[in-house]
Amino acid sequence: MKFNSDPEWLKRQAALEDNCFVSVGGLVSAVEDLEQQSQQAITSRAVFVNLLNLTRREHELSWEQFSQKLDVDLTELIGIANDESYKPTPRTVTKIAHFLHVPAEKLFILSGLARAHDRQFQEAALRFAARSQPVKALSSEEHEALKEFVKFLCER
Amino acid sequence: MKNRIRIIDNATGQPVEAELFDEVTVEHFIETQQEWRPIVLKAARQLAARGSHQLIPQHFHWDWTTKAPELNVLANTFYGIRYENKLQGLMKLETVGQFCSCRLPEQAGNALVYVDYVEVAPWNLKPLMSSLGEKARYNAIGSRLIEAAVLKSKEEDCKGRIGLHSLPITESFYAKACRMTPVGRDPAKQNLLWLEYTPEQAENFLTGAR
Repeated sequence: MKFNSDPEWLKRQAALEDNCFVSVGGLVSAVEDLEQQSQQAITSRAVFVNLLNLTRREHELSWEQFSQKLDVDLTELIGIANDESYKPTPRTVTKIAHFLHVPAEKLFILSGLARAHDRQFQEAALRFAARSQPVKALSSEEHEALKEFVKFLCER
Repeated sequence: MKNRIRIIDNATGQPVEAELFDEVTVEHFIETQQEWRPIVLKAARQLAARGSHQLIPQHFHWDWTTKAPELNVLANTFYGIRYENKLQGLMKLETVGQFCSCRLPEQAGNALVYVDYVEVAPWNLKPLMSSLGEKARYNAIGSRLIEAAVLKSKEEDCKGRIGLHSLPITESFYAKACRMTPVGRDPAKQNLLWLEYTPEQAENFLTGAR
């Protein structure tokens, strides 16, 4: 590809463009949609934290041991588990996905880094959230919920 | 593919060297969500609060991460522009599909490259930055992306023919700054305005000929 290297062309084109909107794509929907999407991200995030917590407990690991297993900084892991506004890095989410043997794209959605446009995915995530309230010991129900959800993530 | 291109730094009014690349990954899409979206939303809220609804960006709801599955489709090409280690603009082209055909009577039925999505980082958009009391940083990002689309069209033997559906707020950019031909409203695509280039118009855009 040979791009125009003439500075005069560039300046003229810049003057015409003048930092205006240049977006191409679909029409705008309502602002409320955006708020709704942000609510969905919060729900997904709660599911992500539950998934992380149950996995850690299933392997009977402390947070410190878990961070070593994942090769993720402990501060980052604690941040994810305790701070709703904390944004994990794509690299960390990829490492967690690798540990869980699930596709990284699915965890990007759960961690709030990407958004799902798949109703089934959202319903499965909500089902998991409803069944995985944290208790001291991992119950067989939690064990089943975790197993079922991880299986779902792997299959789809 | 990586190309050195120049864009305008508004702080000095002078060209600066940026990179235009086609190896776009899901991480670039995530970057737009993390870095662009909060600014777009903040500016949209400011504009709404002032009652300037007509200036609320019509692309504020976009989510590039939903495009991730399209990264591996051969008929799609993505281009990004990076400067100072930040993504300044992103574009998706289609070389095959329902919109890859010319509609202008003199070239109807010929193949073209369809510009499916274009977005520029919010800090490069004057209406948004003004609402936040700041100045837009870099200029000509949109022009560089359209230039890449025309060059891609030539590579694909479409002779520079490109077509796109413009949002109402961007019609003047494509019709006046890029001098594409407005063909008509498309009821199949939310009644958006369809514009396209003939090979001659595309060449004039590339060379700056008037």
